[in-house]
Amino acid sequence: MKPEIIQKLSEIVGKDNLYTTLEDLYCYTYDASFVKADVKKDLAGVAVYPGNTEEVAQILKLANQEMIPVVPRGAGSNVSGGSISVGDCIVLVLKRMNKILEVDRKNLIAVVEPGVITGQLQSEVERVGLFYPPDPASQAFSTMGGNVAECAGGPRGVKYGVTRDYVIGLEVVLPSGEVMNTGGRTIKNVTGYDMTKLFTGSEGTLCVITKIIVKLIPLPEAKSTMMAVFSEIEQACETVSEIIAVGLVPCSLELLDNIYIRNIEEYAKVGLPTEAGAVLLIEVDGDSEILAKQIAKIEQVCQRLGAVQIRIAKTKEEAEELWRARRSAFAAVSRVKPTIIGEDATVPRSSIPIAVRRIQEIAAKYNIIIAILGHAGDGNLHATILTDETNLEEAARVEKAIDEIFIATVELGGSLSGEHGIGRAKSKYITRQTGEVGLEVQHRIKQALDPNNILNPGVMFGV
Amino acid sequence: MERSFESWEKEVIRCIRCGACQNVCPVFKELQAESTVARGRVKLIRGVISKDLNFTAGLIDKMSLCLMCKACVVNCPSGVKVDKLVEAARKEITAKKGLSPLKNLIFRLVLKNRWVFNTGMRTGRIFQGLIFRKGPNGQGMLPRMSLGIDKRRLLSPLAPKPLKMLYPEVVKVPEATMRVAFFTGCMINYIYTDTGRAVINVLKQNGVEVVIPALQNCCGTPVRINGDYQTAKEMARANIDVLLKEEVDVVVVACGTCGLSLKEEYAELLEDDPIYAEKAKKLGAMIKDFTELVVSLAGFEDKMGCLPIKVTYHDPCHLVRGLKVKEQPRQIIRSIPGLTFEEMSKPDTCCGSAGSFSLYHYELSTKINDHKVESIKQTDAEVLVTGCSACRMHIADGLNRQGVSVQVMHTAQLLEMAYDAKQNKGS
Repeated sequence: MKPEIIQKLSEIVGKDNLYTTLEDLYCYTYDASFVKADVKKDLAGVAVYPGNTEEVAQILKLANQEMIPVVPRGAGSNVSGGSISVGDCIVLVLKRMNKILEVDRKNLIAVVEPGVITGQLQSEVERVGLFYPPDPASQAFSTMGGNVAECAGGPRGVKYGVTRDYVIGLEVVLPSGEVMNTGGRTIKNVTGYDMTKLFTGSEGTLCVITKIIVKLIPLPEAKSTMMAVFSEIEQACETVSEIIAVGLVPCSLELLDNIYIRNIEEYAKVGLPTEAGAVLLIEVDGDSEILAKQIAKIEQVCQRLGAVQIRIAKTKEEAEELWRARRSAFAAVSRVKPTIIGEDATVPRSSIPIAVRRIQEIAAKYNIIIAILGHAGDGNLHATILTDETNLEEAARVEKAIDEIFIATVELGGSLSGEHGIGRAKSKYITRQTGEVGLEVQHRIKQALDPNNILNPGVMFGV
Repeated sequence: MERSFESWEKEVIRCIRCGACQNVCPVFKELQAESTVARGRVKLIRGVISKDLNFTAGLIDKMSLCLMCKACVVNCPSGVKVDKLVEAARKEITAKKGLSPLKNLIFRLVLKNRWVFNTGMRTGRIFQGLIFRKGPNGQGMLPRMSLGIDKRRLLSPLAPKPLKMLYPEVVKVPEATMRVAFFTGCMINYIYTDTGRAVINVLKQNGVEVVIPALQNCCGTPVRINGDYQTAKEMARANIDVLLKEEVDVVVVACGTCGLSLKEEYAELLEDDPIYAEKAKKLGAMIKDFTELVVSLAGFEDKMGCLPIKVTYHDPCHLVRGLKVKEQPRQIIRSIPGLTFEEMSKPDTCCGSAGSFSLYHYELSTKINDHKVESIKQTDAEVLVTGCSACRMHIADGLNRQGVSVQVMHTAQLLEMAYDAKQNKGS
């Protein structure tokens, strides 16, 4: 990067908020995805940490004039390669803009800057009896800006939806440096196109988010947790479909397959039957009076479909114990193989049984280990590939298997990504889902807002 | 065979870069650059192994910016041993570039040689009045002139006499029910003899005979974590010989860092040593923190008098995440009659001391410390209790800088006070 550009950026953000050494920049060549930047080609020219909207606007204006790519970044916990450096770019980290500006109880909204940690917002609003439901696994460290840009989901999606369902207004900076406000503080708002929804999940390709207005809901009074064990994974999948079909809406409906069960038990000793084909972890929430009734109905469904064991947590501690199994899932399988690739192909809920079968067939075909853990309640299956990236021969098989999983997902009427985003990881598959026309329209939108293609080039549409 | 730096690749690839360490890394909380969080350090180490990067001055600096507090390690979903990786990198740096002349002198001449260390510390005591003045409220001392350390830095003075000179090698008790060896560590021996005295007094009153082996050295951790394995191994072997010679079942420590090195790290350090690998394991099995030992003694609570004070507790990194001692000190504190225990928020976050880290990165280490002081203030406690002398010094410094009058002491001292309260009342 030209020294005069770095000098100008330094004048904008201050020299303490700008990084240029090799060691610093090397640490923006990755995010939480398995996408690797080519260090020779894709080492950023500079990383900047602006402190306010005005600074973001000046940076984008400069980058646009000079045609320098800009990669917006929050906590870098992206799992689709959307926040890694590309070319001689500016990495624009929004973590310094980390204030919760407002929690408005009368209007049930919160206004936050993009660098606010999602978990912090949640505990802040819960202190006053309110609830911000989206709960990506990274919530303890990922940022609201990143969550909005990726439209993050989480286990509670089955009942409460995803980030998109809560964002009602944004302040964004366009590549031109212009600041734009979308939506507002009202639940109903049909003035013009719904730009808020367009920008939510735009993966940093259209604008940089500098302020977010989210709606909040009252915090549910209580929760009740149960676990059902099945000898065959098909039964568990059928149960998921059936629970939904009879009109019950748990706030979490998580599926663990036998690979997970065995490893979790070995690792965390939570009393899972290691021979079981699958376990469902189910949680309902709401007014305390109705919880027992809901759990009883779910229990009936589980029994009807062949659950061999059902545990209903009687105390908070017992519930915590059940969730410990789920939470230790990742650590448990990471002992099996060094490299863990989490996919998030999502299918219509009724197709879960067949999707699971297809994934298992693909694993067998390529002789690799694919464990399944999913937010099954919303069709979001996390096929987890356990591999070793230093084994190149296996890596090639893994890549083919991933291709096939995507093909199967789209065939089943599903989505390439439920909540992780397309990023750089899945851009080559996008046409499968959007079709040629769909892709062309998206290109035109991108072209209209970012004619110089400076914002996160390569993300979503490939190079 | 000495483990090669490249062999750590197996550990680095286990980092899936999820970023969970951002939530807990105290250095990252202050600096915010990706290269200053555990995930970044692991990536940089990986970069060196894969030959993308070299041990440049910049990279060496990044490796020095780790507190070794293990917060990332216990929080890591894949269980990546980040502290071991950073240590391996520092070891490689020392092997390739050598130690700085000052570190070379301190590690290889002073810490390793008990006689030199001892003489230096005793001579140092005579002259320290010339360059230091007394701190406020009679606690600690402040530099009178610039020493390359901040003038506001509150250091604790060297004790008039080291602990080992204050006590016979065997502190006898009538009708002893148990006999233990006390590994004092450097700070308790040379600076905080009051902690050492409290450990001995409390154990004595519980019928425990305490042996203080005269030939024990520094545990070697400061040397090892700065990458000087050769010296660290010599020190470990010497301590193993000294401690295994004693006829005791338990070696008690009052410092989590010393404790962890004796309990686990000697065995790792010497795993390829045909003679000492086994000995290190044997010693490891004998190590107990002071609080672990105390709560196992029947009737330790019966000797406590009333202490009408409000207390909070700071978990030293190597005690809570290293020796996994968390409940025992709280159990002791809570059982003191009349005392109010108020837990601070995030009691197990590093205080920023990290031994020599606080000398090389003083500004940063004070920023980290400010959060600790704030948490202490929030509790309104009059006394901050902790289980590590380095934490004690650093937190006392932080409290002084911010003008907060909270007394800082080791758990053993609080317990000694409680025992004294009962005896004074009785007499």
